[in-house]
Amino acid sequence: MSDEHESPIITTERLNKMYGSHLAIDGINLEIPRGAIGILGPNGAGKSTLFKCLLGLITTTSGEGTVLGHDIRTEGESIRSKIGYMPEYNALDPNLFAVDQVRYAGELLGMNSKTATQRAHEVLEYVGLKDQRYRKIETFSTGMMQATKLACALVHDPEILICDEPTNGLDQRARSFMLQTLKRTVVEGERSVLMSSHVMDDVQEVCDSIVMIHKGKIVLQGYFDDFAEQVDKEIEVVIWGGASRMEEELATDGLEARRLGRVIRIKVESESTVDKILNAAVRAEVQVRQMKEYEPDLEDIFLLVMEKLGSEIKGSSELMTPEHTGES
Amino acid sequence: MEVAFGAGDGDDEATAIVARSEASLGTIFEQSYRPWRGELGPRWMRNYAIYRHHVYGVFTGKGHRQYHPMVRLMILVIFLGSLTPIPMLFLSSLFGDDGGFFDKMWGINRYNLWGQVLGYFPRNLCMWPLLTAIVVGGMISDDRQHGTSAIYFSRPVSRLDYTAMKYASVAVILGFVIVFSYFAYYTSAIVFKGEGWAYLSDTLPMFLSGILAGVILVITYTSIGLALSSISQSRFFAAIGFLSIIYGTKIVSQLVEWTFETTFLYVISPYDCLAHLGQLLLGLPLNYEHPVSFSIVSLIAMNGISIWILVSRVSSLEVTRE
Repeated sequence: MSDEHESPIITTERLNKMYGSHLAIDGINLEIPRGAIGILGPNGAGKSTLFKCLLGLITTTSGEGTVLGHDIRTEGESIRSKIGYMPEYNALDPNLFAVDQVRYAGELLGMNSKTATQRAHEVLEYVGLKDQRYRKIETFSTGMMQATKLACALVHDPEILICDEPTNGLDQRARSFMLQTLKRTVVEGERSVLMSSHVMDDVQEVCDSIVMIHKGKIVLQGYFDDFAEQVDKEIEVVIWGGASRMEEELATDGLEARRLGRVIRIKVESESTVDKILNAAVRAEVQVRQMKEYEPDLEDIFLLVMEKLGSEIKGSSELMTPEHTGES
Repeated sequence: MEVAFGAGDGDDEATAIVARSEASLGTIFEQSYRPWRGELGPRWMRNYAIYRHHVYGVFTGKGHRQYHPMVRLMILVIFLGSLTPIPMLFLSSLFGDDGGFFDKMWGINRYNLWGQVLGYFPRNLCMWPLLTAIVVGGMISDDRQHGTSAIYFSRPVSRLDYTAMKYASVAVILGFVIVFSYFAYYTSAIVFKGEGWAYLSDTLPMFLSGILAGVILVITYTSIGLALSSISQSRFFAAIGFLSIIYGTKIVSQLVEWTFETTFLYVISPYDCLAHLGQLLLGLPLNYEHPVSFSIVSLIAMNGISIWILVSRVSSLEVTRE
């Protein structure tokens, strides 16, 4: 692999951004490799401010950074030429046909009209809107609008695709297709995707590394697999007929357990944990319907970090607004 | 069929032969990433794209900014209305009406050249403000409303380029109707009457002064209109706001003149400041008591404030959320 592919695509050093007296970004040091990266954090954590800094749209208060080798303080236009940005909120002209909107997005990058039109057809096909190209955007569903925004971002085949909450308000089918498309862009297109989301499953499905921001600071940065190893190993058992009794028996044996209805996850402390669980089940006179090693997911990592930071968040779903879920 | 109705016990060769399609089901949608290895054009191509998107939309809604059909019809009606002196000049040339009624009313002279651009009725009462209102209304407010500013600013389009191209687009549309119709009027007068170089040298300075007055009118109306469009998410607000400023200041100033017999308050009326300056440029007797310098300063202030509002509001347009 060449040096170009091994070197980080985004770096920042002691990056600060203040809005008046409010410190939106607090000394962020980033080193983002190629591939798919998830940017996580609660509302107001500084994700959008970070994106604006990386796009060279706002002047940083102090610190420095580069995107694809371009200085974020002085080379904003060069950066934006090589980046595709898919905004979180609606950013489409409802009166235009999808193909015209994407073509115009290409022209705004400096593509000539003919090339932009040709490319608009290609990317709309890629995002699954081939048959809807000549429909007005005002008639589109949320999923189709998200796909159109993605097409606008991809029209010039950018080296980095920044997606701000790409699955906002999507139903299961559209969400699945969006994630598959992003993944394909990384794997098949060999592009890098920087994706922010409140939905941990989405990030986990597309990304292999994460950056977690909290109150303007980076609290976690690295590959997902590395973090998973740091989370306590657990055994998950599905209990039938007396989960409360089982929970009490496990506590008697000194095992740390967390219960979600009839599912109990028990922290593995030693090799004898499995025996202890089975003995507890015998004493509690319950059936163990299923027993397996629990694979920690991003949600667990997120909660663990939030817990360490003293946050009382019980799950990433608490961070979602009606706009995220499409209920507004 | 043997299996269903045969005489055997049914245990041997108990299989049915059914028709099987040879055709492959195929794949309905095969997603594949197609790279693009082209070169992006320079800054002028991006700026021209913005300009073209807004200006071409007036002529064809297909692929460009959508102007409502009624808006396009209204622009056409105003444009044709601004060309009404041309058929009159034609009639004048047919009748040989030199120095007669038609010539006085529509022939080339200082008053008529001034009136073609700055006459209050019908042009500045009915046509130009309405034209500006319908063209400028959604120019920036639509971007605020739909969040489409992100399409521009997440790309290598600077806020200066965005503002300048929006400004140029409005100014060109207004200029086409106001200044081009003035040019067509003057040219047709020469053509229909078969005038020569002497006539041209006599009237050209007046004509150019009228062009200058028209350009100042286009600039002033564009500045005020775009400033209003930039502070709102509603194209209706910008349009009504513009008409209110033009007509409101005119009416208030007129009432003050009738009551207190002073023309001083006309400095708050964009139309009257332009008319005052236009009279100076075309060498007409001034209708206003206050010095023309007041109107010039007022026009500079109006444009300055409008552009300041425009620039500051465009600076506040967001990429991440509005």
